[in-house]
Amino acid sequence: MKNTFVLTFVVLSCGVLADTSRADFVEPAFGFSINADGVASNGQACDYGTVSHVGSNQWFFQGFTTHAIGTTLSWAYLVDPDPFITGTFTLSNATASTQAYVVDFTLPISPAMSASTISGQMAGTLTDADGSGSALMTSIGGGPVYTALADDIFVHGLMSNANQSVSTQFGTTSFSGGSFGQGAPLAGPAINSTIAIRFSFNLSAGDSVSFSSIFVANPVPAPGAIALGLLATVFARRSRRRS
Amino acid sequence: MEKGIGKDFFVASALMLAMSCASFAGFNSSGAFYSVTSSAGSASTTNIATDISPYSWINNGSWSANGASVSWTNNLQGLNPQTGLGFLNANIVVRNYTSVAQDFTINAGMLGFSTGPFVGSGSIGGQFVNGSGSLGMLTSTGPLWSAGIDGASLNGQLNNALFFAQPYQIVSLGSFNFSNVSIGSIDNSASVNFTFRLSAGGEASFTSAFSFQSVPGPASIALIVLMPLAGSRRRR
Repeated sequence: MKNTFVLTFVVLSCGVLADTSRADFVEPAFGFSINADGVASNGQACDYGTVSHVGSNQWFFQGFTTHAIGTTLSWAYLVDPDPFITGTFTLSNATASTQAYVVDFTLPISPAMSASTISGQMAGTLTDADGSGSALMTSIGGGPVYTALADDIFVHGLMSNANQSVSTQFGTTSFSGGSFGQGAPLAGPAINSTIAIRFSFNLSAGDSVSFSSIFVANPVPAPGAIALGLLATVFARRSRRRS
Repeated sequence: MEKGIGKDFFVASALMLAMSCASFAGFNSSGAFYSVTSSAGSASTTNIATDISPYSWINNGSWSANGASVSWTNNLQGLNPQTGLGFLNANIVVRNYTSVAQDFTINAGMLGFSTGPFVGSGSIGGQFVNGSGSLGMLTSTGPLWSAGIDGASLNGQLNNALFFAQPYQIVSLGSFNFSNVSIGSIDNSASVNFTFRLSAGGEASFTSAFSFQSVPGPASIALIVLMPLAGSRRRR
């Protein structure tokens, strides 16, 4: 009877393990969207490039798309549904006028967390890509260029009132957009389904911009889990003393 | 009689201008090239050039091998005879998700030829993202980035680069510009080169530009001087 129980337990455990590992090897539905002056397009990143499984639960997406109004967007992102998003995208405005862009990269998370800590950072470059002698990247309405989102709700912004410019032909300028929660993560919200990074900016005609960014969310252990951890430590000590 | 001389003069002038200002633009999208050499291993390169106009095109693609990858989106313009300007914007992202530091050498450019003289200008900027739990490093021996004509370096930037990044942090590499560097003629290529070492879990991204602008030759300068004279003679 006891053997049957053990065998059943082992079989069930293997089933769970097999299911877990199979889930680990299905890439997350990491998506992008781009809105340029009200014209939107979006898709799954894996449909516009490649995706590689690069760690226990990490995936690397790189790809490229051309927006209908004449904008090119390329990206290279490392994501972990546990979760974090880090990477870089480059956007070139090949139109004849300044455009207002909103670019999102969204990652489904697993598991959901009832409370979180969050951190993030961004930096970028602006290039006079057409040799006009000037390039300009500004915030839209003075808002943040970088916005961290959880379940599509604002959690933190960086680089408000941005006004970056280049005044030499084919020149480049680099900028640091700042950070939050690095070293001492900030208290974050409950997160049930997604985290995302949104970039909102105006970009002058013929020019390109590149943003590197990070957004990390970590679960805060629930009181029950903390109590369990403490009890496990106490039991371990007691059993060591007895032996 | 004087009217006939004026007509001949302007025909000859147009010919001289065409000959003096970069007489031939031998660039097209089929000459766009990209190469990656890495200690992470060898892999084939996907490189797709898409024409935008007779003189400009987009070049995008990727390379990946054994846990390292490079992706790029380059905007290129062969010499445009109307503006006398050619350029290449090389935007690349390199990620090393192996467990050790890896070396990368990346070349991007276009094959072609054109008679000078030109002046060259350019710039580079970028970011280093440390996606690992250890201290990250981005280094170079010599210039990390250089612009070249016919395989010879014209200008180098980020000499002996040394950048550190804490775990899961981003470091801005700064921006560097150069301008008005003399170029004779272009015999076979204009290109940029990136050479660096990237620590495990690191990502380096760069935006760079390299342009060559025709300089009016002696005949063009003479023409500019002579045209007002001819005009005043006709008015008289």
